[in-house]
Order: sequence, then C-alpha cells, then structure tokens
Amino acid sequence: MGSYEPVLLKNLGVEGSRTLEVYRQSGGYAGAEAALKMSSDEVVEEVKKANLRGRGGAGFPAGVKWTFLPKDRERTILCVNADESEPPTFANRFLMENDPHMLIEGIIIAGFATKSQVAYVYLRVEFHEQFHILQRAVDEAYEAGLLGENILDSGYGLDVYLHRGAGAYVCGEETGLIESLEGKRGWPRIKPPFPAVEGAFGLPTVVNNVETLANLPHIISRGPDWFKSIGTESSAGPKLFCVSGPVKRPGCYEGPMTITCEELIYGDDYGQGMVGNADVKAVFPGGLSMGVLTGDEMHMKMDFDDPRNFGLLGLGTAAAVVVNVETDLRDVLMNVARFYSHESCGQCTQCREGTSWMYKMASRIAMGAGRVEDLDLLEEVASKMGMMPGYSICGLPDGAAFPVRGLVQKFRSEFESYVSQQRAGRAEAVLRVLN
Amino acid sequence: MTNTAGHDLPYQNMAKITIDNREIECRDGVPVLQAALEAGWDVPHYCYHPGLSVVASCRLCLMEMQLPHPKTGEMGWAPKLFPSCQTPVKDGMVVRFDSPPVEQNQKACMEYFLLNHPLDCPVCDQAGECYLQDYSYKFGEATSRMHDQKQVNPKKDIGPKTLLYSDRCVMCSRCVRFADEVAGTGELCIVNRGGRAEIDVFPGIPLDNPMQGNVVDICPVGALLDKEFLFDQRVWFLKSGDSICAGCSTGCAIRVDQNDDKVHRLKPRFNPGVNDWWMCDEGRFGWKYIHDPKRVTHPKLRRGAETETPAWESVDEIVTYRFEQQAAKHGGEKLAVLLSPMMACEEAWLLAKFFRAVAPEATIATGFVPTVEEDQFFPVGSDAENAKFVIRREKCPNRRGIELVVEHFGGNTCDFETFVTRAGEGTFEAVWAVGGYPDAWVPKPLATAMAKIELLVVQDIFENELTAEAELLLPACAWVERDGSFVNHAGLIQPFERAIGVPEGAKRDGQYLFAAAGFEGLYSGERVRELMAEEMDAFREIAEAPKKPAHQH
Repeated sequence: MGSYEPVLLKNLGVEGSRTLEVYRQSGGYAGAEAALKMSSDEVVEEVKKANLRGRGGAGFPAGVKWTFLPKDRERTILCVNADESEPPTFANRFLMENDPHMLIEGIIIAGFATKSQVAYVYLRVEFHEQFHILQRAVDEAYEAGLLGENILDSGYGLDVYLHRGAGAYVCGEETGLIESLEGKRGWPRIKPPFPAVEGAFGLPTVVNNVETLANLPHIISRGPDWFKSIGTESSAGPKLFCVSGPVKRPGCYEGPMTITCEELIYGDDYGQGMVGNADVKAVFPGGLSMGVLTGDEMHMKMDFDDPRNFGLLGLGTAAAVVVNVETDLRDVLMNVARFYSHESCGQCTQCREGTSWMYKMASRIAMGAGRVEDLDLLEEVASKMGMMPGYSICGLPDGAAFPVRGLVQKFRSEFESYVSQQRAGRAEAVLRVLN
Repeated sequence: MTNTAGHDLPYQNMAKITIDNREIECRDGVPVLQAALEAGWDVPHYCYHPGLSVVASCRLCLMEMQLPHPKTGEMGWAPKLFPSCQTPVKDGMVVRFDSPPVEQNQKACMEYFLLNHPLDCPVCDQAGECYLQDYSYKFGEATSRMHDQKQVNPKKDIGPKTLLYSDRCVMCSRCVRFADEVAGTGELCIVNRGGRAEIDVFPGIPLDNPMQGNVVDICPVGALLDKEFLFDQRVWFLKSGDSICAGCSTGCAIRVDQNDDKVHRLKPRFNPGVNDWWMCDEGRFGWKYIHDPKRVTHPKLRRGAETETPAWESVDEIVTYRFEQQAAKHGGEKLAVLLSPMMACEEAWLLAKFFRAVAPEATIATGFVPTVEEDQFFPVGSDAENAKFVIRREKCPNRRGIELVVEHFGGNTCDFETFVTRAGEGTFEAVWAVGGYPDAWVPKPLATAMAKIELLVVQDIFENELTAEAELLLPACAWVERDGSFVNHAGLIQPFERAIGVPEGAKRDGQYLFAAAGFEGLYSGERVRELMAEEMDAFREIAEAPKKPAHQH
C-alpha cells in the first residue's frame, strides 16, 4: 500500500500542522478560494459528481443531501457533527487535532454550497483539548479574513460557532444534535419535517460529519474525477480508518475503501498484527453499532456495500475494534449492552426498555448465571427493536440490536458452552436472589 | 380556540381511506390514529392525545401502509411500520392494523411496558380504568419473561394536590406536554436517560397551577395520582352523571363520579370549543360544599317566634296563598323575585312563570353574580384570542340563562344592583330571593331591606343573613342533585344530568317550582325545556357535548 498518497492526513507529523501558516504552505484554502469563485450550485454539482458519501456512518451522498434544502430558503444553518461518540471511533478527533484548518476550509465550502450564514460545530463534551485547538484555528481564520463577512472578497459571509455537548451519544444523531444545540433535551425528533426543511431554530439545516467536510477542499481543488479514482465507484475517495484493541499499532490511518478488515488489522500501514500474535476471535469493524465479524469473516471489504453481505448494518465509522481469542465474549456482550442501555435516550419504548433488559441479561450472563433461553431472548429483543424500520424515532436501537444479535448469533456455541460450564442451578439461584 | 385534532374547524375536507380492508370517510389531515379511533378501531396508544403535540414515542400505534414501490411505482405494503399518530390522513391511503408485524409489535411493546412495572394493581387507584391493564389484556401476554431485577423508580410528592409514582410510569410524556402546552407553566420535565428516565418537577418548583389536575386525567396509567382521590374509592364502584361545571361561566362539560349519593371526584368530558378535554382545579375540587353538614335540608316556616317544618305537599299552596295575599293587599307591583344565576334555566322559567301568574306586574330581577377581578387564560401568557382554556371571572354557571328568561318575560325587570337599591327604597313588600351560592353572598343593604318587608321567601343552600329574615326558607339543592341546563358565557345552552340524590328532607328545586308553577307530575329538565321551546326560540336547540370515541383516552 506504499503507493497510497495521504490526503486527509497529509500534514500528519508536520510541525505546526495546526497553524494556518503551515496549512497554507501545503496548498490550504485553495479549495475554498476556488469554490468561492464558482456558484453555489456548481459546488453542489462537483460534490455530487464526486459521489462523496457521508462519513458519519450512514453513507448518504453529501451533495444529494444538500439538494433537499428548499430552493426558496432565505437562511440556512450548517451543523458540523463533531459529536464523535461511537465506541472505538476517533477519526474526527484525530483530524481536528492535527489539521483543524482542513475542517474549517471544508466548512467554508459546505457553507457556501448550502448558502448558510452560520455554522455550528457541535463538539462532544469530552473534546476539551480539541475544542481549544479548533477555537484557536477559527480565531486565526477570522483574523485572516477566511471567516466572517466577505470571505476572500467573494461577498460571501459565514460565522462559525463551536458548541459543546453535554455528554450524550444520541446527540450524534442529527436531530438529537439539533435539539441539543437549541438548548433542549437531546431527544431525536420525529420526521417529517426533515432538518433540510425545518431543522435548527426552525430553519433549513444541513448536518455533515467532520470527515465528510474535510474531503471537500480536495474535491474542489483536485476535481471529482481525481476523487473517484481513489477507492471504488460507490465507495470513492480517501477514508480514515481506526483500529484498536490488542493490535500492535492501534490508531487512525488513511486509505482507500478497497482494503479489507484483515488488512486494517495486519497491514504494515495499519495495525501491523495482533499483540503476541494471538488469533482474532471477533472484530467490530464499523464502530460497535454495525455489528460483529468472526475471525473467519475478516476478508470483508471496508467499503459501503460489502458489510451488508456479512450481516452488518453498514460501514459505519470504519473503526475496527478487535477482540482476541483470550477475551471472554460474555464481557464483550455485557460491555456492548451496557453502552446502549446507558445511552438510550428513553423516548421510544422498544429502545428504552429493550436496551436495559438486554443489559440486565448480558450482565447476568457475564457473572456466570446465564441461561440458554437468555440467548434466545437477547436475539428476540434485539430483533424487536431495530431490525425493522419504523420501530423507533432514530437509528440508535438498530445500533444496539446489530452487535448484540450478531454476537449471540455468530458465537452462539461459545455462549452455550459458557452456560454449560456454569455450576448447575447457579442461574436459578441468582434469579431468586434478584427477585 | 384551536386544538390539534381540529375538531372546531368550521369546515374540513373529508377523505376516504382504507383501514383493514374497510373504507371509511374521515377528516382530511388528522392523524390516521385519530381517524381510526373515531371510526371505532381500538388502536392501542399512550403518548398520543388529540389536545397535545405529537411525539410518537410510545411506538404502540404503529401500522402498515401501502406506498408506491420505489422502482415499479406499484402500490404495495411498505417493508416498515409507521406511527399512525404521526401520519396524517390523505385521501386514498391504505393502511392496516390487523397484520402480524403490527400485532407482534403491540405484543412486544406491552411486554416492555410491564418489565419494570411493580404490578401493584391491588393498591393502585388507576386499576379498573388503566390502559396498562386494558392493553395488556387485549394486546399483550399474561406473563413476563424478564426475571432480572426491576428498575424501581421512586414515588414522589410533586405538588400540593398530586403524587407521582414513577415506578408505574410508561414515559408517554403527556403530563410534561400538558404543563408546557396547555397550562403553559412547564413545571414538569424528564430527568435521567434511557431506562432510568423519569418524570419530575424542577427543584423547588412544585406542580401547582390552576390546571394541574388534568395531568392525572391524561395519565394513561396509575403514575399520576390525585391526593384527594387517593385510596378513596375503587373506580368500579363509581357511577357517573354527565354534568356541566357550575364553578364559572365557561361551562365545562364534566362527569360526576359518585357512589351511594356521595360525590368522589369530577372529571372533564370532551367538549370541543368549550373546554376541549380539560377543566380547572377550581371546578375539579370545588364541589366539597355539597356534602357540607351545615346545608339547609328542610323547608322552614316561621309562625311568630316559632319555626316549623311544613310538609312538602303544602309548600306550593303556602307560597301561592301568601303571594296572592300580598298582591291583593299591596298591589302586584310590590311583588318581586330574584333569580339566581346558580339556578338552571328551567327552574328560573318556572319560578318566573309562577310570579307572573300571581301578579303580571311583579318585578323579575337577575340575582347576584359573583365575580373575581379577571379571566385567567391558559397557556399562561396567552390572551382571549389564542387561549386554549379560560377560567372565567364570573363564578356562576348561568347568568346568561337567567338573563334570557328575564328578557323573555319582560315587563318589570331589573338587574341585581337596581333591585337592591329599589328594595332599600321600600319598593317591595313580598320577595322570593334565590341564592344557592357555595360562598357567602348577601350584601348588607339587601339584608337590611329584606328585614323590613312583609313576606320574604328565601331559597338557599346555606343559612345566612337573608335566610334569618325569611318567613319561608326553602332548601336549594346543589347542581349535581338537579337537572336542567346552563347557558355559558358564549350563549351555549348546555344540559346537565342529575348525578346524585338530594339530601334527606330536601326536594329538588325544579320539582317544587314545577308544582308552584301549576304543573302536575314529575319535573325533568327535558320536559320543561320542551315547554320553554314553545315560547322561547333559543331553547329549540341545545348543545350537547359529543361522545368521545370509545377507545380514545
């Protein structure tokens, strides 16, 4: 993979990469400059041509999303989703830490394309340092006339505000984010109206992920054809991958969406193999929510389409967390279930009750008091909350259902053997105590 | 006034939609759930309430819907479920509730709702009118498969009149939306997240607004409880009468829940454009006086220094004789009757009829109208234009009805203030004064003037300065013991039923007035309204609150 030329992480390791000066030296803000000379519609067209699919998880084409905005709108709001809360995912953080100006340039281009007057960057509350890094970069950009009124003498003006969340996973869902931004409880909204029509503060709103926006400067300055030359037709462009768990070199790496999950773990440019050369038992390749692969399924391509062939929800955030053979899957199951139970917003019945029920069962299984029927129940509860669209207001229950159901289905025999190794009657004894 | 279900729109387009293979006609644009409920379907739902915004969070009312296929354009069942509360009716749409995915979802939801529920129905006030019970029975399973420890949320005292047992809560958020959208006081909120989420008040700000009792009504389960009704009565012992609240001139349609002639609670009835689904606490809790032991329950006739209790059969003879005697002695213009706005139109009409029969020149006066400074509009901060609910300054139910009657009879009439002035001038010698107010009402000049006249008949519910001067005191009954009609502030003639019997010794006002006016047999509001309609056009049409769909709650 030595031939891959980094785009998003091109300034990684360069001293002062957070400063405007260094960013400009490597051609920074050329994309914004070029975009501001075009018309908004032309920019949208370029992005549509590049087939830039959203990097936040759903993979919806960004240019198409922008066209949902009503034509006759007077004001538009751009929300930048930097509430990166998906477990094992840290690509946005990495990008903002190393190259905050790339995001700002992306914001300018997206703002111009969507005719937004204001952009809110919604940062998760845990991003303390990143907040200050980004704020410094924003201040620099204002001073250099790259933000504020009449950017680069184009007549276009954009104000950027950083808004910090209060620590909720569900605020990464676009309407949850909007509610939280408005100062309300971070509960996803019912749709319609869709944010493009009536979003933040009742105005047409676009919500884009940090990584999605970071691609824009390169699409504009190097053209959609260049962009499409990376990766495949439906999964075009550079992509940030995260890999974590007991791998030799955990971290955030850039590559085309032609690599496989195996390459991400073992490749020299990526994870470089497992610590102690242990075997892989399971991988969550797209953040927890997309589901799980067994050690035999690692040939899955890290693109937008292939995950579905493996019973996964999608590519997600392309952040793989690896579980080695020494790990007890009961602990994995409990951790997964605990996360969603803790983060369910509590609006929809299936998710509110289902996630906490799954966690109760998973934690009992983890304490060595599981029953075989718990496995059936886990599978059933997971299927009743997220497998059919319409069960809930947002996608969180899908995210809770896929990894739990995947673990139970794909590793059923292992869970059964855990149960059979328990002391006889232990599950019943524990349940008696609990009630 | 507006409401989300659009009941009061003067004209609404109709649409034809198909539910479970049956075509129905319904109002265009209302939620499919509302249309289905109105057409008789029992679609389970918790969070949806026609008077509140739609949140679509309980996910119990999900349905299947036909949509055009994205590629072929052919209509077919979409591979997903839709919240029927959030989907507006569109002409020609085809939906179904009787399919396996819909029923499976209902079953799963019902299991979820009960996972952490304490199942304490035997000690729960809501038992018997609880939608967790009803829906579990109809749509759920008998047993729960969760054997782990339940999440137990606390029982909380959230205000002077209301308790919140959050362990029973299903998180429909109706109460929160009510406080925000109808009361406009916003005391309630949701704290915590996910399975630990619970309803709460903000620290130091109790749920204490003039409309707060409604949160108990709209709570579909036993989470919000009325402290006064707590452990007071099992609901299956209650019998109900449809009534109209007598607390102010809004004329809220209410239901009087009673057992053994004792009122246990009042509940609002759906009455679009008048009170919609709501009533205020003043009316809801303001009925206690009807069981006051100090009430006047027997007629009292004074003979010199003695008082005696005349037989009811002789009352109409006594009053007829005495007033005729006075008319003969002083002339008919010395007679007067004071019609209280606490009376029903029918009672006022009968009494006025009696008077004009005795003396055509007798004065018919409107009685005392109790008022406070101003109307209260809800949500707080709204005005007469956009208010969803109004507690009116006039604290009696029937001023306009009395005025209708007075105007109808014409001749010598006057209002209360004029009556008091003229009485002070010694204009009258024989007066029948009607009270019936829960609170003290007699102005001093009136009592002074009445002390000097020859014949005073007082019809009142409590003894006061005026009853002390009465030659004949007749017990007035509380409105829940009578039937008739009230005319509200907007001129709507609304009938009300008798909910309980009269106290021992008393007789319904309508009945003795019926006899005094020369009619034979039993009084009923309806019968008198028919007689009134012959001479008063207004009474040809009365406004009865529509029945709420059977499965709407």
